[in-house]
Amino acid sequence: MIVALLILHGLLAVALLGAITHQALSLVPRRAAAGPLSFVGRFRNVDSEAYATAVVVLFVVTAIGGGLLYPQYRLDVRTALEDMQMRAANGVFELKEHLAAIGLGLLPTYWLFWKAPLVPGQAAARRYLTWLLAFIVWWNFLVGHVLNNIKGLLP
Amino acid sequence: MLFGIVYLTCFYMDWAPFRYYPDHRTFHIKVTPQDGPAILWYGWVTAAAFVSAAIALLVPRQLAERLGPGWAWAVPLVIVVLLLVYERRWFM
Repeated sequence: MIVALLILHGLLAVALLGAITHQALSLVPRRAAAGPLSFVGRFRNVDSEAYATAVVVLFVVTAIGGGLLYPQYRLDVRTALEDMQMRAANGVFELKEHLAAIGLGLLPTYWLFWKAPLVPGQAAARRYLTWLLAFIVWWNFLVGHVLNNIKGLLP
Repeated sequence: MLFGIVYLTCFYMDWAPFRYYPDHRTFHIKVTPQDGPAILWYGWVTAAAFVSAAIALLVPRQLAERLGPGWAWAVPLVIVVLLLVYERRWFM
């Protein structure tokens, strides 16, 4: 059951990563393209507004999954990391917890700024909020995967 | 904005309205070391959510709108930086 939940959490995180990355890159200032778009150009050329609700829903659901997995992590994984004296691994997960919480707290503001109609004067706030959420999602995704695989990664 | 401030304060002061003990699958308001390791994260998130929601409901909209949109991202950014600085102890 816990393994199924972990896999589901990972899959939701992938979907969230895709959504927030599309949106974040679409907000990077760019010149008008001359000619056909490159792969990166097509990746960035999305309707930024369309991703906001999906990001909020996916973040909440992924965080709930993480919250349900946390007790097992605390008992099994963290104690193993402490036994192996892997302070850095413990530390990056501590940051993952904190960033997940901060990200949850950011969601109402993020959603309000992306609510139609978009206010031109709030463009900078939308951009930086989105980039901050993108940083949080990327950090949490990478840390989650590294810790999940850590026994296989080390000699 | 407020959520992050309350969360950081609760975490730094090591204060949570309740703790979860995964070994016994119980919630406690008081510290019970005999129940094994405790998880405070649920308490921190709950405290931050309730306090920030209460303040958001109590503060008049006109007063809140006096704050420019920059505060909405600058304060959380500072909180993230403070967290990174504080938690660097794990890597030293």
